Amino acid sequence: MTSALIADGLTKRYGRRSALKDCTLDIPAGHVVGLVGPNGAGKSTLLQLACGLLDPTAGRIEVLGARPVSGSPQVGFVAQDTPVYAGLTVADHLRMGAHLNPSWDAALAKRRIDQVGLDPAQKAGKLSGGQRAQLALTVAAAKRPNLLLLDEPVAALDPLARRNFLQGLMELTAEQGMSIVMSSHLVADLERVCDHLIVLVASRVRVAGDVDDLLATHHRLVGRRRDTADLGAGRALVEQSHTEVQSTLVVRSTAPIVDPSWQVDRLDLEDIVLAYMSGATGDGPDRVLEGQR
Amino acid sequence: MIWMTWRQFRTPALATGTLLLALLGGLALTWSEVTQLARETGYTGCQGDACRAAGEAFLQALQPGWASEFHIAAIGALYLLPALVGIFWGAPLVARELESGTYRMVFSQSVSRGRWLLVKLAAGCGAAALGAGLLSLVLTEWAQPIDGASADRMNPLVFAARGIVPVGYATLAFVVGVATGLLLRRTLAAMAVTLLVVISLQIAAPFVVRPWLAQPVTTVSPLHFDGDFGISMSPDTGRMTVHVEPDRRGDWIVSSTTITSTGAEFTGPADMTQCGPRASGGREACQRWLGEQNLSLKVSYVPGSKFWDLQWREFGVLFALTVALSLFSLWWVRRRLV
Repeated sequence: MTSALIADGLTKRYGRRSALKDCTLDIPAGHVVGLVGPNGAGKSTLLQLACGLLDPTAGRIEVLGARPVSGSPQVGFVAQDTPVYAGLTVADHLRMGAHLNPSWDAALAKRRIDQVGLDPAQKAGKLSGGQRAQLALTVAAAKRPNLLLLDEPVAALDPLARRNFLQGLMELTAEQGMSIVMSSHLVADLERVCDHLIVLVASRVRVAGDVDDLLATHHRLVGRRRDTADLGAGRALVEQSHTEVQSTLVVRSTAPIVDPSWQVDRLDLEDIVLAYMSGATGDGPDRVLEGQR
Repeated sequence: MIWMTWRQFRTPALATGTLLLALLGGLALTWSEVTQLARETGYTGCQGDACRAAGEAFLQALQPGWASEFHIAAIGALYLLPALVGIFWGAPLVARELESGTYRMVFSQSVSRGRWLLVKLAAGCGAAALGAGLLSLVLTEWAQPIDGASADRMNPLVFAARGIVPVGYATLAFVVGVATGLLLRRTLAAMAVTLLVVISLQIAAPFVVRPWLAQPVTTVSPLHFDGDFGISMSPDTGRMTVHVEPDRRGDWIVSSTTITSTGAEFTGPADMTQCGPRASGGREACQRWLGEQNLSLKVSYVPGSKFWDLQWREFGVLFALTVALSLFSLWWVRRRLV
């Protein structure tokens, strides 16, 4: 499997504050990858490092096998809050894209603008948040990058605009076959479009894997209260909570769990992500699972 | 990149261009007035000593008309232009992109940051040089009879509004604006700092930089007190200074001091029986007494013939600063920004 993005000990510091600290991960190419984590986990920093907007303080980052530089035709980027030029019209943005990108796909840009119902003569400053995000996505996509990075593109949108945006994104991946890495702190957004998920908490990868695998291998166990030291081989504890009489565990296990003393439930993606995010806050890093890639 | 630069730059460029065109139009309309007056007063084609009187008459005749108004306006515009270019063209160029976050959009197109800034710097400097150069060229041509008659083009105030120096100030002010915007990352703060820097430059130039560049000639000549001179003295201490206007038409007088035979500046003490309110002999007695003090006039001046030499030197310094600041900005946007 080739990699879209490799980070090794990647660190970005602003003065004494670390925005990203010793981050190591490997994002496979050819997927729609969701990068999820709480605020301040370093998602934005990681994506900005990946498109060359930022330079790392330490460590190594490789995007499509090369050190990222801004202005690369290989990598597209839609920044947080989807900035556009307020004084320029929608059509001006497309002309900008055509002038600044040798690989510009004018037909794709035109089609998308029509599809999402943007008026080419409209000033971008007068667009709604959802329209602005669509415009930013169009400019980034019509560049025809091999890798498209999206930094919380839907965070500021209402549910309908959010659905439209994600719909547009799915159409793009189906048509163009580009690799996409999209960050969000809302799992529901990612569940709709992503086939690969990375949970990043405090610059560390808590879990990474294909969405189907994650769903298949995570279980919630509920039973009478007991010690959780021995779960058996091939099983790892993600999160635990106990009451006087009852223990609730989230466990990752490649093999199905057949133990009559446990009531075993399936988990949805949001539960899994939340388990990793909350499990990570209380426990030491030694309890953390590295995902199988 | 050129289209994008033009698209973002066209509004301020057209606004400044309109102002310049209005001034150029005014100069064009009054052109015939100036040449006609110069001919009527006999200044054009005058010979030898008659020129001075004819020149005075020409300048007198020029006073009430539109021509002198446009002259002052054009000089004012050439002083104002660098500040305007720095504040409204230079300062927002990068600062606004950083402030509104659009730098993240444009830097993720297939154009490197260095090239992005280079094209913008080239366009802005080119436009600033074109505007300032055109106005200065027209003004220098237009004011040729006036400068000839008044012999005043070495005057520090006029000097920076003639020839090629205005081009240097306009381009430098633009790059100063860009660099401050790049460093401060706030449009308003960058505008304020740019204004401060440009004005300081314009003040420092005639007082510090230009005398140093021009390397003035110094002469010492004995004073005779038969022409005009001014005296200021304190009647209590007898401290007195003498001011004599050196007769150096067309030259730039950097400094002029009255010195004693030892070479020190003459500060008195005055003979209170000859000079001052309690003296009985009046101005003649004081004049006679001063004549006996063996005083000389030490003048440091730049000859008017060095006008173009000095223009090129000052332009050279401004141009070198522009290039240095541009290179710094290019380095910064590639290496240090965000």
